[in-house]
Amino acid sequence: MRQLILDLLPEAPPSLDNFVAGSNAEALTGLAAWLAPTNRESLFLLWGEAGAGKSHLLQASQCAYSDARRDPDLSTVEPQNDCHAVDHVEALDAAGQIALFNLINRLRASGGRLLAAASAPPRRLALREDLRTRLGSGLVYRLLPLSDAEKLAALGEQARARGLVLPPEAFSYLFLRAPRDMRSLAALLTAIDRYSLEQKRPITLPLLREVLQTSLDI
Amino acid sequence: MSSFWTSCLSQFEQELPPQQFNTWIRPLRLEGEEDCARGLRLLAPNGFILKWVKERYLARIEELGSEYFSVPVSVTLTLGERAAAPLNMTSGSPGKAPPVTGATVTSGTAVKNASLVDQQRSSYEKTRLIPTFTFDNLVVGKANDLARAASRQVAISPGEATYNPLFIYGGAGLGKTHLVHAIGNQILEHDPDKVVRYVHAEDYYSDVVRAYQQKSFDVFKRYYRSLDVLLLDDVQFFNNKNRTQEEFFYVFNALSESKKQIVISCDTYPKNISGLEDRLITRFDWGLTVQIEPPETEMRVAILKKKAEVEGVALDDEVAFYVAKHLRSNVRELEGALKKVLAYSAFHGRQISLDLAKEALKDLIGSVNRQITVENIQKTVADYFKIKVADLFSKKRTRVIVRPRQIAMWLAKNLTSQSYPSIGDAFGGRDHTTVLHAVRTIDDLRTKDNELNHNVHVLLQVLKG
Repeated sequence: MRQLILDLLPEAPPSLDNFVAGSNAEALTGLAAWLAPTNRESLFLLWGEAGAGKSHLLQASQCAYSDARRDPDLSTVEPQNDCHAVDHVEALDAAGQIALFNLINRLRASGGRLLAAASAPPRRLALREDLRTRLGSGLVYRLLPLSDAEKLAALGEQARARGLVLPPEAFSYLFLRAPRDMRSLAALLTAIDRYSLEQKRPITLPLLREVLQTSLDI
Repeated sequence: MSSFWTSCLSQFEQELPPQQFNTWIRPLRLEGEEDCARGLRLLAPNGFILKWVKERYLARIEELGSEYFSVPVSVTLTLGERAAAPLNMTSGSPGKAPPVTGATVTSGTAVKNASLVDQQRSSYEKTRLIPTFTFDNLVVGKANDLARAASRQVAISPGEATYNPLFIYGGAGLGKTHLVHAIGNQILEHDPDKVVRYVHAEDYYSDVVRAYQQKSFDVFKRYYRSLDVLLLDDVQFFNNKNRTQEEFFYVFNALSESKKQIVISCDTYPKNISGLEDRLITRFDWGLTVQIEPPETEMRVAILKKKAEVEGVALDDEVAFYVAKHLRSNVRELEGALKKVLAYSAFHGRQISLDLAKEALKDLIGSVNRQITVENIQKTVADYFKIKVADLFSKKRTRVIVRPRQIAMWLAKNLTSQSYPSIGDAFGGRDHTTVLHAVRTIDDLRTKDNELNHNVHVLLQVLKG
């Protein structure tokens, strides 16, 4: 029988505090300067591969967040906000692209701001030309994924924050067998936490193996 | 401000590039200096800055503190309100003055002046014009010479039949909107009483929808027919919006009959606009149609230099040519590239040079930005060793195939975030232990086999750009 657990596991919402900078000092300094009230540039775009931390930063920016993967026509965008964060712009459909085009024009005119995230630099985005060039007109930074050592450190930090005690070889075990982007690894850590609580077992390599087998879709 | 903190700030100002200093150090505030033996407290405006400073600068601050007070000093970082040391910020736009906060108006005249300024500002705001788009800061070249000349003419004598409507077309990011605003701004400069309105086609459409929902077409019509100058941007957005086109048709007729100026911009020439009624297209041809072409290299260089000048930076020809050569098709991305170069120079505290520009833009231009995928690695490796990609998936175990396969697996492990099992899957459903073995083999061979090491090195270069 499966032990149901109370939903008391700590979930750390994305914030700038719990972002691991890695080799992104330039992009983060740029972003911090852009988020400061003195900034005059209206558009900031982060691009990089999945798991580099783009969504994390967008959600942490305190701008009104929309995700084009969930809302490809941007129907949930509330135009009255003066700072918007639009994630996965490459996933916008035709209507969504026009919506973002209008949003950019409006924000430019009203002195508002847009923080966007994409899988590729503006030059290689398959979007309407008028939107694509607008996205390329602001500050564009690449976000690099963490190195293995940095990921280990970040994962260790997350485990500590959850109060998890992992055997020392657990991290290298996970690194060999799981996708190594931070999003997957963090999701895996949550899964391990839950599973160990449900099973009332300490975290051991056999337990990790079971979690990996059951959570192949992470 | 305390004297220790002042000296600390000036020390950091020397040690750090300006952007890093302004972003991380300047917003901090120091407390507790009167009794430094009990430790100093630094207040950071948010957790992000706090963490960053803690990781990178705290040790240095303590060091400076110990030097200054000649006793070991401990500094704790806590969250606190923003320090009252704002950056010097110049408002980018003369007409769009920053909102007045913390009013300190005392005399009656001042109140009157303020309200006059407010009034002017609000009537300017109604035009929806952007004050920074003027003829003065428009860079001219062969590509936009004609369009600019026609626009100037319209701005000098709006409503003249030969130029009414003025139809400006050209690709994305070539400066159509700039020209349209420049016309409006110049007309207002000559005659502030003229009723000018800039409207983007999408906003015009929203106005029509609103009028429809609120049954207020009378107000809508009265408003648009009262204008002296209507600047309509991106008319291609009218496609298949029949009611909007109909309303615009009437507005167009009313304005042109009363010799009021209409300026229209579009991403293509009138006959080519899809989903637009013929009667509108014919009317667009009544006046003058001018094209803006993509700027030639010299013009792109001039644009870059002008924009850099606005930012207070002198840009070498060499650097401007490098950027201009790589970003050909539109001005917007050119502008983005320049911003990146300026930000990069500010971050690293280095002068702008050709090398710096290359470094700053390496992610934006060139092949570097190609993302590395297992598929990509397989193709590259197969090409390099002149074997078929399918061979990499196959069960073949000849050495000619096995080594490249192992190298490809090694590259996949080192250049992507894929796990051993998923790399195994990508190579014809092999077991993860096979991938593990391949990675170990190549790691080992790289130290022993020079030729293999060279091949791996070349492949790494090719893949990483």
